[in-house]
Amino acid sequence: MTEEELTVMAKQVHDARKPLNRISMQAELIKMALDGDVPPERAKQALDKIIISTKDCSEALTHMMDALSNSQSDA
Amino acid sequence: MLTVLLVDDDPEFTDVACTIIEFLGHEVLTAANLSEARDWLTKEKFDHILLDFMLPDGSGVHLFDELDALPKRPRVTLITGHPSVRGIIKGLCGPNIDYLVKPIQREEIEAVLSGRKDKKNEAVGKATIKKYFGHLIGESASMKELYKLIERVSRTSANVMLLGESGVGKEVVAEAIHAASDVEGPYIATNCGAFSKELIGSELFGHEKGAFTGAVGRKSGVFEQAENGTLFLDEITEMPIDMQPNLLRVLENRVVIRVGGTKTIPINCRVVSATNRQMEEIAESKVLREDIYFRLAVFPITIPPLRERKEDIPLLASSFIAELNKENSTNFVWKDAQLDTLKAYDWPGNVRELRHFVHRAAIMSDPDKQDIQLPKTIESPFAKKQSTTPALQAGRTIEDVEKELIYATLEKVNGNKTLAAEMLGISTKTLYNRLHAYGDLSKDD
Repeated sequence: MTEEELTVMAKQVHDARKPLNRISMQAELIKMALDGDVPPERAKQALDKIIISTKDCSEALTHMMDALSNSQSDA
Repeated sequence: MLTVLLVDDDPEFTDVACTIIEFLGHEVLTAANLSEARDWLTKEKFDHILLDFMLPDGSGVHLFDELDALPKRPRVTLITGHPSVRGIIKGLCGPNIDYLVKPIQREEIEAVLSGRKDKKNEAVGKATIKKYFGHLIGESASMKELYKLIERVSRTSANVMLLGESGVGKEVVAEAIHAASDVEGPYIATNCGAFSKELIGSELFGHEKGAFTGAVGRKSGVFEQAENGTLFLDEITEMPIDMQPNLLRVLENRVVIRVGGTKTIPINCRVVSATNRQMEEIAESKVLREDIYFRLAVFPITIPPLRERKEDIPLLASSFIAELNKENSTNFVWKDAQLDTLKAYDWPGNVRELRHFVHRAAIMSDPDKQDIQLPKTIESPFAKKQSTTPALQAGRTIEDVEKELIYATLEKVNGNKTLAAEMLGISTKTLYNRLHAYGDLSKDD
C-alpha cells in the first residue's frame, strides 16, 4: 500500500468512526432519559439517530472495501 | 461549575455532548472549527477545553499557542479518533494533557471535567455501595435478614405490615417491596394520619361528584390508583378507629365503593402498611382493630433501628454524601475518623436523623474543598429525650456522656440549676460553666 493510499484509508477509518461515536453518545442520552434526566422524547430521537448512524457506518465500511479492492485490482 | 468550550466539527456529537455536560452542571459553548474556537477565546474565559484533534481547518494542536498566551491557561482534553495519536500528542505537548478516544462515553467526559483521579475514587466508592432492590443500603446481618424477607414476600401477593421506629425507612422498604415484586401497576403512598375523619374515606376509596360539599368532581381513591401495584398506607395506627370497618370491608371483599357512589369497583393491589408503634402497643392501646391487623399483617416485617446495625452507618453516610455531591457538584469525602464518630452515636432518629445530619454537615462545609465539617455535636431536639434511655456504650466520649447527664438531670428537676448541680455533685458555678460551653445559657439567662 502506498503512502497516498494509506492517507485515503485513514480518512475512511475516520469517517467510519464518526457514526460510532454518535451511537455511543446517543446511547448515553437514552440512559439519561431512562433515569428521567432528560425528556423521554429525546430517547426516541436518539434511537432513530442510532439507526441512521449504523447505516452511515456500514456505508463507510463499504467504501473502504471498494477502495481496497480497487487498489488490489490496480496492483 | 466550569465553563467548557467544546470544539468538534460533528454537530450531532456536540449536541448530545452539550446535553451531558450541562447535565453535569457546567456551562458549555461549542465551536465547529479552529477559527470559531479562536473567536470564543477572545470573548470568554474558559476553565476547560475539549478539543477535537482533526478539525476542518487544521489540527486542534494549532490552538495551543493561543492558549499559552492566555492569562489563565484552561485545561485541555484532546478528543481523538485514533488511540495511536496519543503517542504523537504526548511528544508534542508533554505528558500533562488528557485524552478522550472516540467513541466517547459519558463517564469519560465526567472524569476529565472533574479531574480524573478524584472521579475514579468516587466511582469506586459508588460501585461498592450496593442498593438492594434499588432502594436499600446496608450489609449488616439484620439487613441481610430483611432482604431475605422482602424477597420471600415479593413472590407472593400477601399484605405486609412494616414495624419500626420513626426514621428507620419504612417507606423506603415499601418501595423496595414494590420494586422486588415486579408488578405492572404503580406504587401509591398515602399517610393515614394526615387526613381528617371526613376526608380519609375519600382519599382511600374516592368519591363521586356531589358526594359532599366541595366534591365538585369524581375522584378515584388510592386503592383504585394502585391497581395491579402496591398501596403504601403509612401510619395505619393513626387512622380513625370508626373508619376501620370500611377498610376491613375493602380488604375482605377486594372491592371499593366510592363515597356517595353505589357501584362496586374491584381492586387488586398489595397493601403495605406501616406503623412506628410496637406490636404489643398496638394490641394494648386498641389503635387498630384486631380483624384489620390480621388482614394487613399477613406478613409483618420489623425494620431494625440504626443503632442495631451500626456497621451500615459508613455506607449510608457515604451514599448520602455522594448524592449531595452529585446534586451540588461538590467533592466531599469522609475521613475514617469522622465515620467513626458517626458510628459511635446512637441515632435515636435513625436513618432520617443521619441523613439530616449529613446534609447539615455538607451545607456547613466549604464547597470547594474535599473536607467535610462536622457540626460539633450530633443532636436534635428529638434525640435529647430519647438518647437518655439506651445504656452507656463504649465508643462515646466522656464529654458527650457528661453533657447528656447534665441535660437529663436538668429535665428531671424542670430546669432548676441549683437542684441539678446538687444532684450532679458539682457546684452551681461548674454547671453554669458547662452550660455556657454548650452555648445553652443565653436562652435561659
